[in-house]
Amino acid sequence: MSQTITIDPVTRLEGHGKITIQLNGRGEVENAHFHVTQVRGFERFSEGRPFYEMPSLMARICGICPVSHLIASAKACEAIMSVRIPHTAAQLRRLLNLAQMVQSHALSFFYLASPDLLLGMESDPKLRNILGVAAAKPELGRAGVALRRIGQSIIELLGDKRVHPGWVVPGGVTEPLSQEKRDKILAMLPEAYSSVGMALGAYKQIAGTFQPEIEVFANFPSNYMSLISEEEAIEFTDGALRLIDANGNIIEDGITASRYTEVIGEAVENYSYTKFAYYKPLGYPDGSYRVGPLARLNIVKRMGTPRAEKELAEFKQLVAGPVSSSFHYHHARLVEMLYGIEKIEEILADSRILDKHVRATAGVNRLEGAGQAEAPRGVLHHHYKVDENGKITWANLVIATGQNNNAMNRGVLQAARSYIKDGKFSEGILNRVEAVVRTFDPCLSCSTHAAGQMPLEISLLSADGEVMDRVARD
Amino acid sequence: MAITVRCLVLACGNTLRGDDGVGPRLAAWAEERFRQDPDVRVISRQQWTPDLAEEIAAADSVLFVDASASSPPGRVSLTPVSSRVDSAAPASHHLKPSELLGLTRSLYGSIKSHAMLLTVGVGSTELGETFSAPVEAALPRARGILEKAVLRFLGR
Repeated sequence: MSQTITIDPVTRLEGHGKITIQLNGRGEVENAHFHVTQVRGFERFSEGRPFYEMPSLMARICGICPVSHLIASAKACEAIMSVRIPHTAAQLRRLLNLAQMVQSHALSFFYLASPDLLLGMESDPKLRNILGVAAAKPELGRAGVALRRIGQSIIELLGDKRVHPGWVVPGGVTEPLSQEKRDKILAMLPEAYSSVGMALGAYKQIAGTFQPEIEVFANFPSNYMSLISEEEAIEFTDGALRLIDANGNIIEDGITASRYTEVIGEAVENYSYTKFAYYKPLGYPDGSYRVGPLARLNIVKRMGTPRAEKELAEFKQLVAGPVSSSFHYHHARLVEMLYGIEKIEEILADSRILDKHVRATAGVNRLEGAGQAEAPRGVLHHHYKVDENGKITWANLVIATGQNNNAMNRGVLQAARSYIKDGKFSEGILNRVEAVVRTFDPCLSCSTHAAGQMPLEISLLSADGEVMDRVARD
Repeated sequence: MAITVRCLVLACGNTLRGDDGVGPRLAAWAEERFRQDPDVRVISRQQWTPDLAEEIAAADSVLFVDASASSPPGRVSLTPVSSRVDSAAPASHHLKPSELLGLTRSLYGSIKSHAMLLTVGVGSTELGETFSAPVEAALPRARGILEKAVLRFLGR
């Protein structure tokens, strides 16, 4: 008789999720799925709203990465307006997105992943949480709190609110940066450098002990997609998309926002509200790809800042060619945090950042527009159609987590097959299956544009579909 | 680093969910009442996240202010908070006052002179920016208890 294991809710994620693992009559894993179990429908209820409201409406999709939604949405609106925003406005948005990258990556690494990494996959689940980390490694806990505070404080200084700032608008930003605020941000950076340096050092010390996990945590060849600058450096806010294959060969390059519908399709599976993005010429599922920190570091040739450049060189030495194990998302996240701090410093060192011209204005000049930006979890597309009066008639969002959906599902199956033998499993094994999903740092509220808390469940199903065991967490 | 103060008023709630917004409403009142007082700092958030440990560490005393779904509508309670962790798996995105105190102690070695939780029992948390009648009626009493608690923390 077969069985199904259910992990519900999957914990330490941004969102509600569930994992089911189907066993066959011999107790071997037959199949496994990662389900996103919520639905919200931002695309529908934005219909009829004026296009210029879209950035602030869309930012409400997420409390972790609202800045990326603001930016992608504003860029889609600017395509409708046919305007090019002032240089300083573009740099200020870049600054805001970098600050978000720092705070979101800090949350992922320190609050969500570090209990597994620092305390161990098999450690007491009652202690395997942020409080356990604080008790065992207080210096790292303080570093995590500091990086979160610094990222959020920069967002607050720029946008007046640490969550859902309304500063980014179609055409640029609402207010220029003052010298006083610039100096306040610069004063935070030494602490940020020391905190991220401590995290990188700690991670490198322990990463080697996770070789068994590295082998089976979504470790397979895949395609990768991210934004990249003209200099082939990392780029979170502008640039165009590049898609590479598992060997690092460029499949397609220079994909601008206006072309994304030619290139990216979205498939639907009946077990998840999150769609499955794929590269259209290769079809689904062959055209599936990964996005986010691992993809970005696999694609770029350089970081463009000195300390992160050294870290990228070290990262690329992990394996020959693109790094394929999703376990290394954690490492990539830390490198990107370092880059974010360096880039913030670099942008603020340019006196033009205080320029007062930060907004372009225009009405409706096109009836369709698309924008793209990198969110912490990967590239994000916003695409709108409007009527002559600028009211939204149609909207579509392609979210990072949807683009990683196929890889997360394959990763869950790979880990389940590796760890579950003869139908037997322990809490530590189920935690590892959850931890595969955590490496991607998925944002399930973004992926379904859904609200609420996000618990997770794992179910063990028999061959005839009967629930044999279930682990549920609030 | 966080600002050092003698008393931190730390409120929590969602102003779009009816009575759940009572914490932020009381925080707004406290902000006004103690505007000229450098010994008092008021912070209001939708959730109590781990980051707040740093703010708590920088205060001698802390008064948590929240809505309570387990108290009768409109009941105002003031209870001491210890740093005992009373849940098996603390959430990463929102912590209880006791968990926040525990985190503060672990990370910063900081123990508070006073730590209390002021709650108001909720009647309705449906979507909306207005309070139910029992919570609206309880506001003067809640403000009075909040004020007395802060002044007691300050030794006045």
